[in-house]
Amino acid sequence: MEATPPPLRNAGAGEDSDGGLRWLGALLGEWRSLTRLGAFILITLATAARRHRDNSEVMRPQVMGEIHRCGVRLLPIISFLGVILGVVFVGQTVSLMEQFGAGNFTGTFIVTVFLREMVPMIAGLLVLARVGTASVVELGTARALGEVEALEALGIDPIHYLVVPRVIGFAVAVVSLSAYLILIALGSGYLFAYARGLKASPIEFFTQIASAMSALDFPLWVLKTLLFGALTGWVICYQGLARPMTLEEVGPATTRTVAVCVVGCLMIDALFITVYLLL
Amino acid sequence: MPDDRRPVYHRVLAPVRTPPSTTPALEARSLGIASSTSTGGVSLQAVDWTVDTGELWVVAGAQGAGKTALLETLAGLIPAAAGEVRVFGRRVDASGDDDAGLRETRRRLGLVFDGSGRLFSALSVAENILLPWCYHQNRSHDEALREFEPLIGYLQLESILSRKPASLSRSWSRRVALARSLVLEPSLLLLDNPLAGLDAVHLRWWRGFLAEALAGHPLLGGQPLTIVTTADAVRPYVGLDPRFALVASGHWRILSNIEAVLAATGEEGFRDLTEPRP
Repeated sequence: MEATPPPLRNAGAGEDSDGGLRWLGALLGEWRSLTRLGAFILITLATAARRHRDNSEVMRPQVMGEIHRCGVRLLPIISFLGVILGVVFVGQTVSLMEQFGAGNFTGTFIVTVFLREMVPMIAGLLVLARVGTASVVELGTARALGEVEALEALGIDPIHYLVVPRVIGFAVAVVSLSAYLILIALGSGYLFAYARGLKASPIEFFTQIASAMSALDFPLWVLKTLLFGALTGWVICYQGLARPMTLEEVGPATTRTVAVCVVGCLMIDALFITVYLLL
Repeated sequence: MPDDRRPVYHRVLAPVRTPPSTTPALEARSLGIASSTSTGGVSLQAVDWTVDTGELWVVAGAQGAGKTALLETLAGLIPAAAGEVRVFGRRVDASGDDDAGLRETRRRLGLVFDGSGRLFSALSVAENILLPWCYHQNRSHDEALREFEPLIGYLQLESILSRKPASLSRSWSRRVALARSLVLEPSLLLLDNPLAGLDAVHLRWWRGFLAEALAGHPLLGGQPLTIVTTADAVRPYVGLDPRFALVASGHWRILSNIEAVLAATGEEGFRDLTEPRP
């Protein structure tokens, strides 16, 4: 009877410290995978810089193929999305602000919320969902089936052959699709607002939006969309290739990629908001 | 334009391979092979081995004895647990200092994986075969196709060039994998269990290929190739006059000919190779 309480207390204490340790371990694990991703990004950059002219006969079609897959093939769905976004977001905003007599602020509002924040995020997520997930499955399967070792055995650098074209493809695709999405959305938004009784001519409308932008908006916007795309590419390749993998792990790696990409893009977004606030 | 379209046979007709030197094709000293199943484990130890140019070696052992890991270590794909490997006198496991030279040495060595040969599933058969050459020589696919038309014909792969690896049988996949490593003109060929599970037609073809490659075929550079192959049955190699190494229970044992293998095991066949009798 007397021996019973101490083990109980010990067990309780043990559970607490176990829970704490597990939490610490998880945090450490996250930190480690973050540093590994960082190292992976640096290796890719170094490879791209060192070998950007090498093996162009193979690498150029490879890069063009990725740009085609991530960008050109998404043009129809981006056009559709652009029209819908233009109507539901731009068009409604413009006509509502006109009704409230706040038409002067339309440009500022659209630039700040739509151009800077929404469009890069939507284009990034679309590319991730439409192409990114498929890419993780493709790379993960290749890794699980030993195709990456086969590349190495043939003297082909997997980072150069598989990763660099994907990162370039995703980065170029997100930048271009974002620009395209903006054009379509603003055009269809104007048409919608015009149909609802907007007085401004197209030139006045676009001038108002353009004047709400600063010169720094362009490089920052390109940088931001570029980072969204490149980060997506890096995370996809890292999750698909960086570790030994079995076929069962391909599914979890895909869902993990989506989570990491969304969190990563939100963090980049937060970083850019700070930059915009400081400017 | 006509010049561009003309098949390029110069490489085939005038092989540029250097004459055989006294340097062994492959040298292993006190080599330990890391286990693929357990971290830190060793599947094979104390491999002391010299493969001279032009020789055919059959490394025989049961499945899981570490034959694949041995080949991957020799090819520099996985680090050795102990000891060192030299390919044409140069260490393949060294990293760092001279990356280009190391890559060059690795390229003189062709590895054909077991099973379906680990073809790139996203690429067609033709792209699989020609990718290494296009990548290293920086040439287009069409040029490569013209260049290697004779080799593709020799391997009887013309009719399946546009197919995807997933639609091929294992025997044909393996032959495509062989083609993929041959386009880089290796001097040393490592074949992982190439004769396993082949039907009679494929088996006859592979035996013919091995004999011709060892004698020096004009399409393979003209010089005799050095070939190391693994096997779980030694019978199919009888008649090719190979030298044997047995792998069993983590130990490495070199035997001069098939008679010695049969004497060591009592009988021919794969199961008996797993436990060589003293």
